[in-house]
Amino acid sequence: MHFVPMPAVLMLASTQLTHLAPIDIAILLLYFAMVIFIGFYVKGATNTSEQFFLAGREMTAWIAGLSFVSANLGSLELMGWAGAAYQYGILATHWYWIGAIPAMLFLSIVMMPFYYISKTHSVPGYLQLRFGESARALSGACFAFMTLLMAGVDMYAMAVVMQVVLGWDINFSMWVSAVTVGAYVMLGGLRSAIINEVLQFVLIWAGAALIPILGLIEAGGWTNLKAQVIARVGDPAYMHMWSTTGSFQSNPMGVHWTGIVFGLGFVISFGYWTTDFLVVQRVLSANSLRAARMAPIIGSAFKMFVPFFVILPGLLALVLLKDPSGHLMQLYPEGSDMVLHHGAHSFNQVLPLMMVRYLGPGLLGLGITALMAGFMSGMAGNVSAFSTVWTYDIYGAYINKKASDSHYVFMGRLSTVLGMATAIGTAYLVRHAASIMDYVQQLFSFFIAPLFGTVIMGMLWKRATKAGGFWGLLAGTVASVSMWEMVRIDKANIRFMILQPHASPETIVRVQAMAENLYRALWSWCICVLVTVVVSYMTKPRPESELTGLVYGATVIPHDGTTSLFQRPAFWAVVVIVVLFALNLWLW
Amino acid sequence: MSVSHPQPDAPHPHAVDSSTERPLSIWFFVGVLMLGCGLIILGQGIYEFWHPGITVLANLHPAFWWGLLMTLFGGFYSIHFRPGKG
Repeated sequence: MHFVPMPAVLMLASTQLTHLAPIDIAILLLYFAMVIFIGFYVKGATNTSEQFFLAGREMTAWIAGLSFVSANLGSLELMGWAGAAYQYGILATHWYWIGAIPAMLFLSIVMMPFYYISKTHSVPGYLQLRFGESARALSGACFAFMTLLMAGVDMYAMAVVMQVVLGWDINFSMWVSAVTVGAYVMLGGLRSAIINEVLQFVLIWAGAALIPILGLIEAGGWTNLKAQVIARVGDPAYMHMWSTTGSFQSNPMGVHWTGIVFGLGFVISFGYWTTDFLVVQRVLSANSLRAARMAPIIGSAFKMFVPFFVILPGLLALVLLKDPSGHLMQLYPEGSDMVLHHGAHSFNQVLPLMMVRYLGPGLLGLGITALMAGFMSGMAGNVSAFSTVWTYDIYGAYINKKASDSHYVFMGRLSTVLGMATAIGTAYLVRHAASIMDYVQQLFSFFIAPLFGTVIMGMLWKRATKAGGFWGLLAGTVASVSMWEMVRIDKANIRFMILQPHASPETIVRVQAMAENLYRALWSWCICVLVTVVVSYMTKPRPESELTGLVYGATVIPHDGTTSLFQRPAFWAVVVIVVLFALNLWLW
Repeated sequence: MSVSHPQPDAPHPHAVDSSTERPLSIWFFVGVLMLGCGLIILGQGIYEFWHPGITVLANLHPAFWWGLLMTLFGGFYSIHFRPGKG
C-alpha cells in the first residue's frame, strides 16, 4: 500500500551529504551488537515450529501492536513519503490516516477473531481452510515470490541511501545488512524479528522526532509554517486534506475524493492491513484473542502520529532548506535532468537533508541508525514471512507433508538463509537493471486488492465457494495487471479508470501515479468480488458445519475475557476513530 | 503439514506475558539500547557547551537535552524491566 516509486537511479547523481563521526559509529555499532546478541539469545526459545514461525504466540498486545505498525515503517517508506509531502503537500497524510487507521480497526474488530480462532499460521493458510488448496497455492506462491523480491529491493535501496548520505560502498552495505538480518532471523525466527521491530520502532521515534520539533521552532510554529508554505508554492491546496479533492484538477496530486475514500481508504488500505501476511503475522503472535484484537488498535494509535515525523519534515523542507547561496532550495523528481546532471537534490532526499541540517555528531548517528534499522527491519519482515509461507504453505503442504516438527524448524532456518541469498541476488539484479525496481514495487499492488476481496468474501459470506474464491482471486489479479499495462502503453487510457472517458489532456496529465494506483485497486477488487459471487452461485456451497470458525454467521465468537469498558477493544477503537475524525476536520 | 482445527474456547498453551516473565524482556532490550545511545549523545551534548556545533539551532543544545531525555527513558526501562525482577 505504501510504496512510493523510488527508481533505482535514486539519488545516484548527488554528492555525499555528510560523514559519520566516531561517536556516530559507536551508536551504529551498539545497535548491530544488540541485534546479533538478540538473535543468539532467543535461539534457545525457538525450538518448535510454533515458536519459530509465530513466536510461540506469546506476545502481549503492546509488543504485537508495535511490531505490527513497525513492520510497515520501513525507511524506504519514510523517505518516500517525506518526499511526497514536499511534492504534494499535506494530501500525503491520507496514506497514514484514512489509508491505514480504519483498516487496522476493521482487522481488530471484525477479522481478527477469524484469523485467531481458526489457529491458522498464515493468510494463505486461512484461504486453504476456507477455499481449499488451489486458493492457498496461488496466494502462497505469489506472496513468497514477492516477499523475496521486496527484501532485495529494501537491501539495494538501503545500500544506495548509505552511499549517497555517507559515501559507503554499495557492496559493503548490502552484505553487512544481509548477513546481520539473515543471522538474527535464522537464529530467532519471528521472535527475533519482532524484538528487533520493537527496537526499530523506538529508534525511529528517537531518531526522527527531533527534526520536526526543531523545524517547527525554526519556522516559528505551525501557523507560520502554513503561511510560509502557501506563500512559497502559491497554492493553498498544499495545506488542505479534503477541501480540494472535489475535482481532479484542484489539487497537486490530481486525485478525487472518491479515489481517496474508496480506492485508498477501503480497498488498498484494507487489502494491505488485513491480508498482507507480513503485517498480519505480527498480530497472530499475540498471546490471547483480546491481545490479538488490541494489537492493531495500539498500532493504529501510533500510526496516527507518524505524519509528525514524516509529512511535517517534508513541509518544513519547503520553506527552510536553503542552498549554499542562501536561497530556498528547490528539489526535483528522481531521474530528472537536474538531479542526474546538475547535482540537484531529489524529493526523496528531504529526510536526510533535514537530518544533516539539525543533527550534529551523536544525534546524526542516532538518525542514521534509525534509518538502517528501518531498512533491516523491512528485510527481516519479508524474510520471516517468506520463511513461514514457504514452510507451511508450500513445502509442508505440497513437498513434504509428514515431516517432524523439528524438521520444519530446520526448513524454516534453511529457507531464511536461502531467502536472504535470493534477496541478495535480487538486489544485484536491481542494481544492473534499474527498471526492475519499479516493477517489483508494483507487484504487491497487483495482488493485494483482489486478495482482500477473496478473504473478506470468505469471512463474511457463507455462500462463497471454493471455486468462487479461486477464480475471483485470479480474475482480480489478472484485471489489475491488465489495467496497469493498459496505462503503461498509453497514459490517456487512465480516463477509463477514473470514469471520465472525455477527460481533457490537462486532467490526464494531472493524475499522478499514486492516484492511478487507487483506481486500479478499486476496480480489481470489484472484479474479484463480482467473479467470486457469480462463480459461487454457479457452484455447490460447502455445508455450514465445515465453516465453523471461518465465516461470520457460522461461528460463535468466544468472549475475549474483558470485564470492563476500558478493557474492550471496541471502546479503544471508538477513541481512535474520534481522534482521527478530529484531526481530519482540523486539516480539512 | 496439518493445520489444527478451530478450538475457540481453548486457552493457548503458551499464554505467557513475555514482557514480564522472561529472563530478559523485550522492554529491557529497549531500555539498554536507549540508555547506551542516550549516554553517548548526552556526553556529546555536554562537550558542545564548550565546543558549539555547526548545525542549525545548535545554540539550543539539542544533543544535551535529547541525550538527557533518552538516558532517563532508557534508565527507567533498564531498571524497571531488569532481569530477575519479579
